[in-house]
Parts: sequence; C-alpha cells; structure tokens
Amino acid sequence: MNFFRKFISIRRRVKQRATRFSLFVVLLMFGLFFEAYMHNFNLVYIALFFIFALAFSAGPVGMRNIGYLEVKSLKCGRLFANQEGKCFFTIENSNRQSSWALEFHTAYSVKKISNIKSKSKIQDSFTITPKSRGILELSPCKIESLFPLSTVRFVLPIDIDCKTIVYPNPIGERLSSYLNRQKSHFGEEMDFDGIARYSGSESASRIHWASVAKGEMAVKSFERLNESEALNFIFEDCASDDESRLSQLTLWVLDCEKHKLPFTIKMPNGYYDSKKESIDEILEALALY
Amino acid sequence: MRFLKLWHYIEANSRGLILLDIAYFVVLTPLLLFVKAPMLLFLLLVAILLIFKKRRGNITLIVVALLGFFAIFLSLYGAFNFLGLSRLKIFVELIIYLLLLAVSLQRLSGKINLYLLISPALLLALSLFFFKSIFMLFYLIFEIFILLWLILSYFMQTSFIESLKMAGSFFALSLPWVVILFIFFPRISFEHASYGFHGDNIRRTGHDGKMYLDTKALLVPSNRIVMEVSFPKRVPADNRLYFRGSVLYKNMIDHWEALPHKIKRRFSPKHYLQNGMVQKEADTIAYKVSLYPTFKTWLYQLDLPIEAPKGARIDADFEVKLSKPISEVQHYEAGSVLNYRYGKYISKDVLKYALDVNATRNPKSAKLAKELILDYPKAKERLNALLNIFKEANLSYSLQPKPLDLNHSTDDFLFNKKEGYCVHFANSFVTLARLAKLPARVVTGYKAKHSNSVKNYLVIREKDAHAWTEIYIKEHWIRIDPTTTAKRIDIKSAKLLSKNSSNNIKGELQTINLYILYWKYQIQSWILNYSHFRQMKLLNSLKDRDFALKFISSLVGLIIFSILLMIYLRRTPCPNKISCLMARLFKRLKKEGYTQKTGETLHQLFSRYSSKDIRKIEDIQNIDRLYHQVRYSKESYRFKNLRRAILDFLRKKY
Repeated sequence: MNFFRKFISIRRRVKQRATRFSLFVVLLMFGLFFEAYMHNFNLVYIALFFIFALAFSAGPVGMRNIGYLEVKSLKCGRLFANQEGKCFFTIENSNRQSSWALEFHTAYSVKKISNIKSKSKIQDSFTITPKSRGILELSPCKIESLFPLSTVRFVLPIDIDCKTIVYPNPIGERLSSYLNRQKSHFGEEMDFDGIARYSGSESASRIHWASVAKGEMAVKSFERLNESEALNFIFEDCASDDESRLSQLTLWVLDCEKHKLPFTIKMPNGYYDSKKESIDEILEALALY
Repeated sequence: MRFLKLWHYIEANSRGLILLDIAYFVVLTPLLLFVKAPMLLFLLLVAILLIFKKRRGNITLIVVALLGFFAIFLSLYGAFNFLGLSRLKIFVELIIYLLLLAVSLQRLSGKINLYLLISPALLLALSLFFFKSIFMLFYLIFEIFILLWLILSYFMQTSFIESLKMAGSFFALSLPWVVILFIFFPRISFEHASYGFHGDNIRRTGHDGKMYLDTKALLVPSNRIVMEVSFPKRVPADNRLYFRGSVLYKNMIDHWEALPHKIKRRFSPKHYLQNGMVQKEADTIAYKVSLYPTFKTWLYQLDLPIEAPKGARIDADFEVKLSKPISEVQHYEAGSVLNYRYGKYISKDVLKYALDVNATRNPKSAKLAKELILDYPKAKERLNALLNIFKEANLSYSLQPKPLDLNHSTDDFLFNKKEGYCVHFANSFVTLARLAKLPARVVTGYKAKHSNSVKNYLVIREKDAHAWTEIYIKEHWIRIDPTTTAKRIDIKSAKLLSKNSSNNIKGELQTINLYILYWKYQIQSWILNYSHFRQMKLLNSLKDRDFALKFISSLVGLIIFSILLMIYLRRTPCPNKISCLMARLFKRLKKEGYTQKTGETLHQLFSRYSSKDIRKIEDIQNIDRLYHQVRYSKESYRFKNLRRAILDFLRKKY
C-alpha cells in the first residue's frame, strides 16, 4: 500500500509535458497500425505493441526517476546587476534508485545533472547574470527530466523560495580615489583641539605624555577625530542620477567591507551606519531603493 | 573491453554519434538482405567515408548525393515506372532507398538532428514490410531492446552494464503489456500480405502427381520439411498417417497417371459427408497443416479428406487441390475421417479404368492371378491371398534397386529382381490385383512416421513421399500398403535411411531436434500466423473453466516474472557486502529492542543482547568474533563463515 500511496503522491507532484518525440511516436504508431492492420503482419503488431508498451511504461519510470527528489536549499551569493553570479542548490534523492538525466531549471538558467545516486545528496551551482537590481524572481524553479525515452518531459516544481536580491551594479569611482579626493574628511592629526581625559580605550599614540609626566592621564583630542573614524557617503552627492548613485554607493560599500572601514550612508529615505547594520542589509537597502 | 570501460568518459556528441551508428547498424542489417547491389555499394562507400574520417566538405556531400541517386536509379531500374510505383513493395523499397540516402548525407555531416534520431525507428518499421520469419521475430525483439538500450545509454551517461540493466528492467516492465495486447487486440480477417523477403521458398519435391517406375521415380531421401501438422490432441497411430495426394489409374508402362479429364465423375463431395462414410464421430479429426511450397496444386490431407480448406476443392477421388500451384507456405485447417467406408457411387467408367490391365505384359502374374480367381471366388479372400503372395515373395525394400524391365515390370519385380521401394510395390500390387479382377488404383502422397512427432506435432519430410494402393471391394475402397509386405530392407537402404534420419542426429539429439521444430511451429502458428480466427478460437476456449484458469495463471505468472525480473535488475548493488550482511542482523536485533547506543561498540551491543538470553551467547559470540576478524584482521576469506553464521542465527528459533 505504501508503494501505491507514494506513487499517487508522486503522480500529484510531477507534471508531464509531451515533447516533439511523443508526436513522432504517435505518428509511428499510427503508421505501424495501418501497416499491421492492412496486411495482418503480426511482426508489425509486435513492434507496435512494444512501442506502445514502452511509451506507456515510460510514464511511471520517468515519474519515479524524478519524484523522489527534493531541493533542500537554493541560495545565491551576492548578485549584482549585469554581473555574473552563482547560486547554489542541494538536491536530495530519497529513492533506492539513482535518478538520471536531470535538469535544474530556474527562470534564468538551466543546470544539467547527469545523475544523483540513490539515498544521496548533491550540491551544485549555476551561474546567473541579472539584468537589473531589485528582487529577482528565479521561479519557476523546477527539476526536469526527459528520462527515459524523451517522449515526455517530467517536471517537478520546487516549492522553496526562489527569490533573491540583486544589488546594483558596483561601478563608479573606487574608494581609494574618493579618499584621496576627500582627504580632509578622513581627519588630520594637525587639527589639534585640546586635551581630553583618558578613557582607557584610546590608542597609545594619542596619549599626551606631557600630562602623564605631570601625573595626569590625558589624551590628545583632534578637531576631526570623530569624522575620520567613519566615512560618510551622501546619496545626492555621489553621481548625477539615481542608478549611478546606487552603483557608486554599492562599490564604496564593497570597498569599505574589503578594507574593514566603517561608513555611513545618508539616503533620502534613511540613514545607514555600518556599525549598526550589516553590509548585506545596507546593500539590500540600496538594491530595493 | 577497454572501450566499454571508457564508455562513459566519451564526450557527449561523439557518444551520441557512436550510439546512432550502433542503432543504424542494427536496423540496417536485415535490410541489407534485400537491398539491391548498387545501393549496397553506395552504403559501403558511406561506411568507408565514415570509418576513415575523410574530410567531408560540401563537395564530398554533393558527390555522395549524386552517387546515391544514381544507385537508387540502378537499384530500381526496370521497376522504375508509374506501374512499378503502384506496387507497394516497390514503393516501400523506394522510400527506404531515399531514407538511406538522406541518413547517409546527414551522418556524413557529423551533426545530430531530429531527423537522424528518428530514422532508425522508421527504417525498422519499413523493414517489417519485407520479413515475416521466426528469425525476424527474434531479431525484431533484439532490435527493439538494443534501440531502447541506446536511448537509455544516451541519457544515463553511465557504465555499459548499468544502462543495460536499466534497459532490461524497462523491457521487463513492458513485456506483459505486449503479450496482453498481442492476444486481445482486435484483429480483422484480412489475408496476410504475400510480398516480402522469401528466404525459405525452396521447391519441395517428393509427390509429383505421377508415379514413375524408372529413374524419375519417387525417391527423395531428403530431410527437408514438406509439411508440419498440428493435431488437437495426440498424433494418430502410425497406420493412419497417410497424407493423400494424387490418385492414379492409368498404367503408362514407365509411369502411372490420373484418370483422363474426359471421364465424368458422378459427384464431388465437397464440404459434405457421404452417407455411411463415417461409422462414428470419433473417427473424424480436424488438424492444422503448414505446407511448404511444392509448386504443385495438391494440398495434402490425412486419408480420407472430408473438409477442404478455403479456396481448395475435394474431387471425386478425394484429392484436395488448389487452382494454382503452391508457391508460398500454406497454413490451413483440414478435416479427415480416419476410419472410412466409401465408393458406393463409383461410375462404371472409373471401374473400367481401375480394372484396366494388359495381361500379356506380365504373363507370370496373369497366370498367378487366374489361379487366385479360381481358388478364391470371394473378393475379400482373393485380396488376402494377394497380400500373402506379396508377403511370401521374399521381397526386399531397397532404395537403390536394380532397374526393372519396364515392359514386364510386375513379373520382373515379383519373380526376378524382388527388390524395390514403394512405387514398385504399389505398381506390382495394383497390376496383380487388376489381373485378379479386383479394381485397384495407386495413391501417392506422404506417409508420416509417429517417430517424427512430439506431443501433438508431426513433421513430414521429403523422404516420407510414398505410394500405396486402394482396392475396390464390396462397393468401397480399401487402403492397402503393399510396401509393408517387404520381408527385409537391404543394408545400403538401411544405412541410407539411417544416415538421413534427422540430419544424422540420434536418440536424444533427435528428440531435441523435434522439440525445436515443435516450438518453431508453435511460434509460427501462435505468433506469426495469429489471426482473427485464432483469436476468436482462443476467446471461445476461455469459456472452458480449466483452460481459462490455465490461461489466466499463465498471464499472472508472466506479470509476476516481469516484476521480479525488473526488481532484480533494478536492485541497488550493495556497496559494502559486510555492512549489508550486518544490516540484516541489526534489523533482527532492532526488532527485539536492541539498537546500538551512542558510544557503544558492536562488541558491547552483542554482549548486552546475548546476556539476556544464554541460548544465544554462543552464536552471537561466534558472529562477534568472525565479524571482527573479517573487518579488522583483513581475513576476508572468513566472510563466508560470517555469512553462514548470521544466516543460521536468523533462521534459528530460540
């Protein structure tokens, strides 16, 4: 009973689409039928019945091939508009038999998988080049197979979240160039502002040794000291149009992440601080702007 | 083998082309038997171009195309007109040639397209127009299996064995469907088409419609099968196995002939029985005959035919004839009466011919006949006396007798040479009977032997051609086979018959040979010649409860066999035989509530398990010891012991 129950559930999950080869099989059977019927050729009858039986049996065989598969995860790396990125997926085969000739389909890509062994998982990836930033709908995500005879395409829709975010294309002025241009903003020790009480966390280079000699623990304070610890990017000042600004900001965010520099971004709809939000959250805000 | 090992590493396109080449090789093989020589040469050229991987540019393709068209033209030369094309055989042949040309050009281009993929199936379908033999039946199944395997192999891209197993299981799954459809799919009663490749249309000799006494005589010591007969139950007794051919009345010195056409016959008992002919219903018999081409008009039926097949007629002498010579295998159902009494309505003209004899040609026989007439006034007694004369004449059966003096053939045979075979016996007996005023005639045909039968199947070979006699007594004809009166068989003939006996195969081999023929005949009857008629007969037989039970059991058996075969072929091979063996033991332990705890060794598990039941201690300790020896001491030779120990443990009831 379990077998039939499982088969019925597979039958519900797996969809079947006729291919051009099925049309050929129908025509061939039609021709053989006439050949057999007109001349009472039993050999032709046998060929006809074999073709019919094989085409008929291809249904259960194909459904069983694909019906036990389950996509356990589908995650993409950071995807940027107009840049090639990778998505990763895991498929588990809970069947006692191997699954053959599979294709992992998304709306933008097809990944061929020659087989998944019985009772095993495979991890694989596919590349994708999104056209624009925002939410990318990968669906319909599905596993397809032409196995065994290619007369029917078996389709197993995947019921996991097939959405991902595409960040703006990171292009524009590099952060290093920007820093050179905006050097004063980064803070200079020459702008001495006075002496402040040592809190215990300041760098040794900032200790004011003259005060220490007098018995007082003090550190030097600089006029732009606070500004120099964080980069402040302002959306409107980045470039001439919104998409270019988003692309520029994305590039700077990535550079800052690379050099572990804290930064803030002032957007028309909000303020983002790398100390408070993760890089991915900031990038997502840029993507969905 | 190296090729097979490297099989799944071959690049996809090359692999596809190799698979396609195999497919084309398989489907083209039977077609090569009837493809004409120019087309064969063209295919050879294409094969050479493919094998030597000669650079195939556009010019090469154009030249090949032109050569292909020229080959087609030459192949169909003579039939190449509208009249020829109207004949289906020529039309199909032309389609095959065009298909072969197109496939050759596409294959030479080295690219796989839809057309190249579907053409093997088209060629297979077209080839079935030309073949209908048992060999082709097996080859067709082989072709379908290979094509299936090639398709699966293309998709699976795995080892040769794995794809073969998959093809096998898939094939097993479809087999019951094929059988059920074949049996129950409604058929119509159209005749089987007669065109096609006829590999077995050799003329059968033996019975000739005349009976020669000279060197043209009825002697064909050949084992070629003339007829195959299937009876509903058992094969009748040996003395009933006379297959009637022609009936001969006129002695033409060197040969015997049928009645002249001018003799009018009073009746023709076609499709009905004469009154009093059959004593009881059990004496009638219906049977199926497959008669191979004889290029004669006679259809042979057991003596005495009462039901002729469709298209044939039974004449007044109970000869069964078709209007045209038999140039193709004939499968027919026939009816005969084995114990009969007929001849009441025989005309005086016919009797006159049955008594016609020239006494001066055989004076010694005439003298003897005169004495018989005087001594035995009753016809029946005279006939017995005649038989006794033959029995006492010390006659020998010889396949190579000394030539008879044809002008005095009976005297020479009975009193001088005393050797001969059936024709000489029949000739002499009829002559002597006529001299003794007993109307007599010669009947020729085939005399089958019970030893050439298995179950309900009987084989009749060319060497079974025979001649016997019929004597008219008390208004009916009695069959007399004078050859049975021979006292002995000469050494040479005995050797000759023995040598030709079933291709020199003796004893069990002969039986095996007969069984092969029997199964061949069954396949021929129930598969190749399965028809609307047979289907209806089968369906009617299903009304019989016993038969229906057997039939349904067979179908269920086939389905179970197919499922088991499929499961066997698709079973996942055990990656580690020790683990798989132990898994069975663990399953048992789990059933009894013992599973391996985290951090527990197998030894601890076994100890824990056996401690609860001392009866198991010894067995479990033995398994424990063997397992550790096999697993860790690399004593793989102990695996058998471990296996036996586990299986014994699983089998035991504690």
